[in-house]
Amino acid sequence: MSTSPRKRPAPDALVAGLVVAILVALVGAVFLSGWGASLYPPQAATSEARNVRGLYDIVFAFGLAIFVVVEALIIWSVLRYRRKSSDTSLPVQTHGNNTVEIIWTVIPTAIVLFLFVISWQSLNRVNAVSASPDIRIHAIAGQFQWQFEYLDASGSKVATQLVPVYDVDTGEGGMAVPAGKSVQVTLDSPDVIHAFYVPRFLFKRDVVPGQTNRFEFTVDATEAGQVFRGQCAELCGAGHRRMLFSVIALTPADYDTWLKALIVKANATPAPAPSGTVLTLSVLNIQYDTAALEVPADAPFAISFANKDPSGVTHDVDIRDSSGTVVANQEVVNGGSSANYVYDPLPAGTYTFFCSIHANMTGTLTVK
Amino acid sequence: MATHALTPAASTYSRGRLYEWLTTTDHKKIGIMYVINSFVFFLIGGILALVVRTELAQPGLQFLADEHVYNEMFTMHATIMIFVFVIPMLAGLGNYIVPLMIGAPDMAFPRINALSLWMLPLAGILLISSFFTGGTAAAGWTSYPPLSLDGPLKSPGSGQDLWIVSLILIGTSSILGSINFLVTIFKMRAPGMTLFRMPIMVWTVLVTSVLVLMATPVITSALVMLFIDRNYGGHFFDPFGGGSAILYQNIFWFYSHPAVYVMILPAMGVISEVLPVFSRKPLFGYKAFIFATAGIGALGFSVWAHHMFTTGSVFLPFFSLLTFLIAVPTGVKMFNWVFTLFRGQLTFSTPLVFAIGFLTMFLIGGINGAFSASVPVDFALHDTYWVVAHIHYVLFGGSVFGIFAGLYYWFPKMFGRMLDEGLGKLHFVLMFIGFNLTFFPMHQLGLEGMPRRIADYAADAGWNDLNLLATVGGFTIAVSILPFIWNVFISLRNGKIAGDDPWEGNTLEWATSSPPPPYNFDHLPEIRSERPVFDARHGRTGH
Repeated sequence: MSTSPRKRPAPDALVAGLVVAILVALVGAVFLSGWGASLYPPQAATSEARNVRGLYDIVFAFGLAIFVVVEALIIWSVLRYRRKSSDTSLPVQTHGNNTVEIIWTVIPTAIVLFLFVISWQSLNRVNAVSASPDIRIHAIAGQFQWQFEYLDASGSKVATQLVPVYDVDTGEGGMAVPAGKSVQVTLDSPDVIHAFYVPRFLFKRDVVPGQTNRFEFTVDATEAGQVFRGQCAELCGAGHRRMLFSVIALTPADYDTWLKALIVKANATPAPAPSGTVLTLSVLNIQYDTAALEVPADAPFAISFANKDPSGVTHDVDIRDSSGTVVANQEVVNGGSSANYVYDPLPAGTYTFFCSIHANMTGTLTVK
Repeated sequence: MATHALTPAASTYSRGRLYEWLTTTDHKKIGIMYVINSFVFFLIGGILALVVRTELAQPGLQFLADEHVYNEMFTMHATIMIFVFVIPMLAGLGNYIVPLMIGAPDMAFPRINALSLWMLPLAGILLISSFFTGGTAAAGWTSYPPLSLDGPLKSPGSGQDLWIVSLILIGTSSILGSINFLVTIFKMRAPGMTLFRMPIMVWTVLVTSVLVLMATPVITSALVMLFIDRNYGGHFFDPFGGGSAILYQNIFWFYSHPAVYVMILPAMGVISEVLPVFSRKPLFGYKAFIFATAGIGALGFSVWAHHMFTTGSVFLPFFSLLTFLIAVPTGVKMFNWVFTLFRGQLTFSTPLVFAIGFLTMFLIGGINGAFSASVPVDFALHDTYWVVAHIHYVLFGGSVFGIFAGLYYWFPKMFGRMLDEGLGKLHFVLMFIGFNLTFFPMHQLGLEGMPRRIADYAADAGWNDLNLLATVGGFTIAVSILPFIWNVFISLRNGKIAGDDPWEGNTLEWATSSPPPPYNFDHLPEIRSERPVFDARHGRTGH
């Protein structure tokens, strides 16, 4: 220790201090002005999500404080301790200090232990599943479509929602739940791993083939009438980004009406096999059994369609013309079921029939 | 064509220079070839990233043919960047510098060293060849089964098999390299170079080698099982044949989480060499830093399942606690670095500028990682763009900035010439701005619910502006690489002659010529501390 710390010119410290103060003020201004809202999750829609949001806010506050302190230290050091031409002798050769090492080991340990404990408490709330929830839904995620089976208290299926996305125009589709009631969802996959994710629930859970995952949520009663966007969050193949769904929060009375309508629709007698041209088409292993169909022009026709894939894998037979315009749009059929699709007359030409769920499933429809 | 006088030693080579390089067992030449090979794959991986960002710039599929091609792009981007760029690049820097830093003439097993090197371009070419043989792997760099198994809508092509074989080759190269490093560090240190006088860079390579040696065989087993499942009807990971899809994730992350430390520890080592030299002070808390490094290595083996919190198959409190705890040694390092700058005399050469970039960006990567340690918060953030932001703040803001700090720092030693300071700073400024433009908005995208790995998003989801911003940032990063390449190109020819010790370094590599002769040293200074060259320069006055 042959050199002693020399007096440094004050302006350096002033500039460095000023920059650090501006930085802290900027961060403060961002959060007071509302721009900082973009670093918070969207508004929580369930009681579980509000719990997570409370936890997020605490973690965020600690993170922000640590960020400001350390960045301020870095910026201070960078501006204050630039080497100047007058610096001919070495600075003090500080090799360390056990006291400060202990301080910056103990304090962060205390912080992370605190965060761990509150996270654990929150986890026990968010992860809880009850023996007798108000509503039970069995969600099946297959490549690349969701379906929602509504179960009664004993676990038997009463109806299936095969249209996962809510359509604003028709009011059809989506997974309806009663606001203010507990909903237990069981998750199954017939093929690969998917994930059930609704951003405003601040929650996701993987849908793992071979194991049934389970979670529970209660949409806030004030959210009745809202439609929440949902999406598969685990890469599941080429159609991953198209695996969308909606969760519709209804008042309990509206929900009962909605469910009754779904049951009526499910129990409706299937349309009788139409007269005229009836083709047969089946699908197995995500492939149609034929690549070419032929029907007469300007006459209605029908396809007797059998989906031989496992339950959870849905298909349909839609038609688009040579310009790509979809001219016939049918509802999907679950694996293990069949349907009679009836099509309006088409003018002569070459068309493509395809599955709206699986881009690889196409064939040529010749109309002449 | 300009000609230059070679150093006298080089002119005595009787073999052609190409032959000499292709057959060399000199750790310095091997290290440089590691670096060049890794950099080429960095460029390829970067182009793939630009393809991904171009597709995501606007809603709609307008750039790529379909979603499958998109899946190929991000799968190959991540695979190349992790396995053929960051890990080998750091192994290459270690290869070059570790024997020099401990005063050794070469690595312990020079021929095995050459074998480790030459497996890498082979593996990289295998991986790339899948572009021309019917399509690459497209199941993500994690390749979770059942998606990565054979079958329609899964991964029927040979690309996935090439991916597996390529990774097994890279893993074998890593294992050989780690044994080589361990033996070199334990058996070949110069007299006086005790363990607690080794440079931090050597310590980080030591801990990294232990991680590689213990973890890589485990992922190799997962890859072999996946290969058997795909090609010979095994059912290890097939839930419909008695296997378990989650089993793969456990084995995969048992390697791939420690691999995160394999990718960051040596970069931390680089920073720990650069900061003291350019602040003219010793590293603050040398021993604390070593214990923190060992602590990260040990804890790194017990946090793997934090990648699997949402699977419903994880003992959540255990992995949450351990993941939180790993923040403590990381924080200790951060404070030690900052206190190294504190009251120093800082010279803002390009290596220091990149090192400070590392500090500021890795800090964000550490903090946003702690969010995912909190399991309920992770339920919200997992598999969204938040995670994409996190890994890039750690692996780009951390590892890549660290790598460039190291390249600027040791380039004069490797080639005997200085890189241009102006171009170096231009590189830094563009990269720093581009990096933050690209990855900071991803925090918000993730919070708002944009999942990873989607080829497209709805135009009314509110994600358009942030995605466009990220794409602009991505191209800014790409532009920032150009001054670096130009800098290397002109400096190799016309750069200022570096001399033995251009930075007033602390460690032994600065006690020999630039570039060092074969077998490195004619004589060594006395080694009485972790800064032998500093001691030789300043005598006792420095202490």
